Amino acid sequence: MAYGIVQMVPLAIVAGMFALFILSGLRSGKKQSSEYGFSGSYTGRVGIGAGIASNWMSAASFLGLAGMFYLKGYFAMAYVVGWTGGYVLLLVLMATQIRRFGKFTTPDFVGFRYESDTARTLAALISIIITIIYCVAQFRGIALLVSWLFGIDYIPAVIVGTSLLVSFVVISGALGSVRNQKLQYFVLITTFILPLMLLARKLGYFWILPQFGYGAAIGELQQQFGVNWSEPFANTSLFEWFALCFTLMFGTAGLPHVLSRFYMVPGIRDARWGVVWGLFFIALIYWSAPAYGILARLFEARAGLPFNAGNADAADMIVLSAAGLGGLPVWAIGLLAAGGMSAAFSTTSGLMMTGSASFSFDIYPRLIRPGASEQDKVYAAKGFFLLLALVVMVLTFQPWGMIAEIAAFAFALAGNTIFPAFLLGIWWPRANSAGVICGMLTGVVISFAPLFIGASLPLFSHLFPLTSSAFIGAPLVMIIMIVISLLTAPPSPGIRHFISRDVHDCPEE
Amino acid sequence: MGDTSAQKDSGFFRPRGKAMRGEVRLIKWILSGWLAAIVGFQLFAYFLEASYSKLLLQDLTFFNLPIQFWLTGQFLPLWFIILCVLFNVWMDRNSTQMQEESLRFRIKPASGEDE
Repeated sequence: MAYGIVQMVPLAIVAGMFALFILSGLRSGKKQSSEYGFSGSYTGRVGIGAGIASNWMSAASFLGLAGMFYLKGYFAMAYVVGWTGGYVLLLVLMATQIRRFGKFTTPDFVGFRYESDTARTLAALISIIITIIYCVAQFRGIALLVSWLFGIDYIPAVIVGTSLLVSFVVISGALGSVRNQKLQYFVLITTFILPLMLLARKLGYFWILPQFGYGAAIGELQQQFGVNWSEPFANTSLFEWFALCFTLMFGTAGLPHVLSRFYMVPGIRDARWGVVWGLFFIALIYWSAPAYGILARLFEARAGLPFNAGNADAADMIVLSAAGLGGLPVWAIGLLAAGGMSAAFSTTSGLMMTGSASFSFDIYPRLIRPGASEQDKVYAAKGFFLLLALVVMVLTFQPWGMIAEIAAFAFALAGNTIFPAFLLGIWWPRANSAGVICGMLTGVVISFAPLFIGASLPLFSHLFPLTSSAFIGAPLVMIIMIVISLLTAPPSPGIRHFISRDVHDCPEE
Repeated sequence: MGDTSAQKDSGFFRPRGKAMRGEVRLIKWILSGWLAAIVGFQLFAYFLEASYSKLLLQDLTFFNLPIQFWLTGQFLPLWFIILCVLFNVWMDRNSTQMQEESLRFRIKPASGEDE
């Protein structure tokens, strides 16, 4: 990868793609935006699926996953299984029921279900923290791409990337451009798979379905270079694999911006089938991501380049490196850069708007300025959006891991807090406000403890790794919620009746 | 008061009504299939690696990929999609059935027709 020079062709492709998004948003002519900060139009179940997938596909999926495969081989499969398996949990345990609650945000749901303003505020704060952590992963991806595109160092690239993101959101908002999610997904999948097909064709593999064609590369690495890349548990334990996989699944079913998709869908059947389409669209990318990791290792081995397991920056850019090492034309590498930027921008802007909405509707009028008018809330949301961007930018200067690892930490927090609150809130009417408050606080402690006491308590950090703490953490939080709920007063008959009659459709007696 | 509410409560371990009992039964089946596949494939790969030589893992291929790689990376996401489709088909069928039953119940006394 050439650093230090401006990549003119890829830069033009990236700029062209964002211009296309804004223009298509303007052409759609549907200026839909709710007061909760989500926007977008839906056209059928496939459209809902594309919306779910385009919202989901972040820098972690587009760039980070291939980087994990490049560095850790089979262990990275935990990401693929975790990030797809979580949708099964979401569909069978939550999607229908969330729609029936009729609440528009995670704090709204928690506040209504548990009849507690404290629980609602706590859920809002946790949503904002999740947003910040998840955005750090995205900002890191944006910064690495900007660094390559403009030929500048990482820190200036973080600042330029943040400015570009804020400008994009402001310009889109000022022009009234609606997110065209189907177009965004089409761009993402095309920019990810087309270069992979070109690489597979160049290598003489089965290029029509490169997701299956790259197996020959694994064999060549093993036979000619002695790299046993696909060995399952060579460097990690079974426990570590399961801990990461289940953490990502619980987190998927607890991430506020994923859950928010179901509040917006017009009907329950549409919500359910939208998940299936969304999962299929997501799987298309995840079936392909390992190929970039293995092909990069093969090209490096063929070129006699040493494998540097400690270079996280290079690993996070491995999708582009694989294309470069494979000798693809510069426009194909530009396509990958454009897809990565699009994935990071769409996820980040959506997340930050969700975070701003949580602040302006759940925290600002309750804790900071009671009696604030609607206009005040709008100003608060805009101000908080800028503040969020600033905080995330500063945290991105010194990221604590690779893109996928930082994202996994956000999933762990969501899995330890929001997931148990929703699961028991829907399926156990006896869960009450005291239980959920204690549970969510315990979840926060479990998530952050490895950062602070992990070094002094090795057993703790082994059982609750920073990126994988929800495997044991989420069941533990649920046990705490159950015990505290049983020891304290039950929720009101009104909410219990609502859960039975309206959420689970039980017959009246 | 609390006791009355508790008796009317419905939850995962206490489903009430035909529809909810059916839904919970289905969820249990789907989650069993989900869990068995995730855990089963990893245990298969783990014991294969622990019990036999690494060469066997390299030689067992499917669709040109090492077997553990294909099962986890390619088949599991496909299996999740299949589980989701099965769930949705059952839910659609069930809700249509319930709707028809309630319509029949409402319309019959008025018109006598079985629409």
